[in-house]
Amino acid sequence: MSSVGASRSLGRLIDWRIWLFVLLAGFVLVTVIYPIFQVAIRSFLVDGRFDLANYERVLLQPRNYVAVWNSLWVSVIATVLATVIGVVSAFLVQRTDLPAKNLFRLLLILPFAIPPLFAAMGWVQLAGPVGLLSQAWKAAFGTVTVPWNIYSPGGIIFVLAVTNYPLVFITVSGALQRMDPSLEEAARISGVGAGRIMRDITLPLVRPAILGGALLAFVSSIDNFGIPAVLGLRANFYVLTTRIYEALVVPNMPLATAMSMLLVLVAVIAMFGFRAVEGQREQYAVIAGKSVMPNVVRLNRARPWLVAGLALAVIVIVVLPLLALIIASLLRYWGADLTLANTTLAHYTAVLNAPAAQRGIVNSLALATGAATILVVVTALISYLNIKERMRGAGLLDVVGLIPFALPGSVIGVGMILAWSNPPVGPTLYGTIWVLLLAYIMRYMAFGLQATRTTLQQIHGSLEEAALTCGASRLRTIKDVTFPLLRPGMVAGWVLIFISAFNELTVSVLIWTSGSETIGVWIFLMQDSGFTGRASALAVLTLPVILIMFLMAQALARLEERRAQAAGTKS
Amino acid sequence: MPPAVAVTGLGKRFGSVRAADDVTFTIARQEFFSLLGPSGCGKTTTLRCVAGLESADEGAIRIGEHVVFDAACRIDVPPNRRGIGMVFQSYAVWPHMSVADNIAYPLKVQGVARSVIRERVTEVLAILGMTGLGERRPSQLSGGQQQRVALGRALALNPTVLLLDEPLSNLDAKLREQMRAELKQIQRQAGLPILYVTHDQSEALAMSDRMAVMNEGRIHQLAPPEEVYRRPATRFVLDFIGTVNYLPCRIVGTDGTRVCLDLDGAAVLTIPRPPYIPEGDRALLAVRPEDLVLGRAGGPVEAEVALAATVTLRSFLGASFEFRLAWNGTEVRVVADKGSGIADGDTVALGVREGLLLEPDALSRPDARAS
Repeated sequence: MSSVGASRSLGRLIDWRIWLFVLLAGFVLVTVIYPIFQVAIRSFLVDGRFDLANYERVLLQPRNYVAVWNSLWVSVIATVLATVIGVVSAFLVQRTDLPAKNLFRLLLILPFAIPPLFAAMGWVQLAGPVGLLSQAWKAAFGTVTVPWNIYSPGGIIFVLAVTNYPLVFITVSGALQRMDPSLEEAARISGVGAGRIMRDITLPLVRPAILGGALLAFVSSIDNFGIPAVLGLRANFYVLTTRIYEALVVPNMPLATAMSMLLVLVAVIAMFGFRAVEGQREQYAVIAGKSVMPNVVRLNRARPWLVAGLALAVIVIVVLPLLALIIASLLRYWGADLTLANTTLAHYTAVLNAPAAQRGIVNSLALATGAATILVVVTALISYLNIKERMRGAGLLDVVGLIPFALPGSVIGVGMILAWSNPPVGPTLYGTIWVLLLAYIMRYMAFGLQATRTTLQQIHGSLEEAALTCGASRLRTIKDVTFPLLRPGMVAGWVLIFISAFNELTVSVLIWTSGSETIGVWIFLMQDSGFTGRASALAVLTLPVILIMFLMAQALARLEERRAQAAGTKS
Repeated sequence: MPPAVAVTGLGKRFGSVRAADDVTFTIARQEFFSLLGPSGCGKTTTLRCVAGLESADEGAIRIGEHVVFDAACRIDVPPNRRGIGMVFQSYAVWPHMSVADNIAYPLKVQGVARSVIRERVTEVLAILGMTGLGERRPSQLSGGQQQRVALGRALALNPTVLLLDEPLSNLDAKLREQMRAELKQIQRQAGLPILYVTHDQSEALAMSDRMAVMNEGRIHQLAPPEEVYRRPATRFVLDFIGTVNYLPCRIVGTDGTRVCLDLDGAAVLTIPRPPYIPEGDRALLAVRPEDLVLGRAGGPVEAEVALAATVTLRSFLGASFEFRLAWNGTEVRVVADKGSGIADGDTVALGVREGLLLEPDALSRPDARAS
């Protein structure tokens, strides 16, 4: 069956769809292809000629190998930890008779919405040299030192793990929820116990989801800047993202470019590695589309222990760092005793009166809103041409638009500087806020494409054909049928892009300039220069925005689930 | 007065597959016309070409007085300007609109006044037996009710022709029969011509005034249902509609009213002369299960000559019995009203009331002549 708009006569071939496609292709060319091209080409150029000297310099410096190696091993261990936390919590929430499941689920997903920088800062307040936990430990054991050091690779690994496990939790929960329960029931009828079913049937079946979530956690770890910056710079422990940041502070553009290519290489190798482990992913098609009543394991005597354990973990991982952040924002100076006399609102007034911080708030809100709105509109149009008009070119745009998702943020940052410092045509955007907007658009295009494509795929072609046979023109059909049905997907994509852009740091810290600060950049700079109180105060001020968006995203997901269920019973 | 729909020489390719090949038919005013065939036979492609959702490669389509498609003249009117109503297999009721909004939509698009729309929606809801359900959401409706909404939406604008694409295939058996009768009644009431696509032969036989049986993009037979059943044009039609037993035979002799057959030396029987007699003496005798008669072994049978066969499986169907018999190495299926006295393993007498004759190699040729 062809789509709504099978091409009719030669005269109409050159219609609005062609023009729209040309516009969209231009957009993708400028925002995605051009910066990638710049990074790839410039790393091979020395004074305008092809030369491998940049790579030579990168590879001859032991500091750079070390950064590559550090990025790798830190990310691998953090991913393993995140996967364990994510899988265990997903099983407990989805497949046991745990009480207050919805609350647990909500709290377990929450770190996904909190910027990793905040987590790093929170953990410094908690477990740093004068942190709350450190002080409690010292008081309890009467020692002057603690047996840990948050400014260390171990600290980075720990904070990366507790920041990234929600990616595993979300994918595995989804797979567990959609798995056909008859597969487990068949085992139960064969006389297999519930625990054994988990091990022999359920776990192997959700293996692809576990590996998929782990891959996301790995890429996110490799990509992260905030955590290794806050916890590693002080210990002189560098990973690739912080090395690139340093190379740009100097600034050494060719070096940063060549290192960006190394970072891409690491990410690509990692992805192929996961593919190899994953094997034939399509081996089982057991994850049905609709939600079903899952097989629940009774925890019995272990229940109170597991509940207490999970609650403690959630408090330590999710609640304490935020609490520490709030306390730090209220304390007169860092490390002060927790007394009422030591509390102050001075940091808040200082932050709210600092022009740079004010600009940061306005910029971040404007950038997140702008990027989300532009992307949702553009990607909806690309997905429409791709899915509904079956335009091959639009399918290509979809593929190209997904590439930046696999690119570490530092690479996008370097690409932006190269692309917009002295572009062959057009204005020099580097140094203005527009380069940040372009960076966010590039970085989060995949989110918009994903949301709109999947929603459009679910809109059965006959719904639109019905409008045509009812006398509605193609454009009217889009307005009355396609768009209203696509809207929930667009809203979900908007919220996801907004949260991500609002929390962005890895790219922003490379390309911000005076006047185009973002909240994240400003908080990082304050924290980095020792103004912990002010950094925390601004972080706390952004929390309501983040929480509102997070709750909205959750509510939307619920709504979507219910709609899918209703649709599932119909056709 | 021109026919409601006239399709001439319609051809449509998908890659190397000929989905429709020289499809020609007309639908008279108030006629219920069906396209019947297995999936992939081209019936849905033909319907979608008439709707304008698909563009044919060859041929022409007229709806009422208007040429809506002509490959030679490069005319292709888009679906929204063909004045048709269509019901989809998946119903395609819009989930974001209420029942009333769904039905009102075609009128709204035409810019009909609001008061008129309200009146017409009430009227259509009454025809559908859904009065008072206008404010419901489609997700609150049963499959049968959604089906009705889809029908109501297609009827709202009094279309020139109503196109139905397997509209009953998603309903359960009981509801399907009920909707069959209702659909026929609504059509009569509205005096609408209908183009109905189905793979369900009983639906097509029960509802159609005329029907076209299609296979591999081509129409094998175009006739009223009874004729299609009694005098199938080709081996494919004979096979597709109902059940058939094929018995190889030799034609011994014919006269004006009868034909005498030798069933491979096992028996000689005489049946009423079928409409087509192949040349040469070898042939295939095709007999429907209800045209075979059973009797006790050695006892009298209605038909002239009785063959001795063994019962391999007796199935009770409620109103009748079905027997599978072994005769001369061939499996033969018989349907009989009575069969209480017969058990598996019994030897019975088998008589042939009437049958059709085909070329001896007809089994491998779907388009072999059957009558």
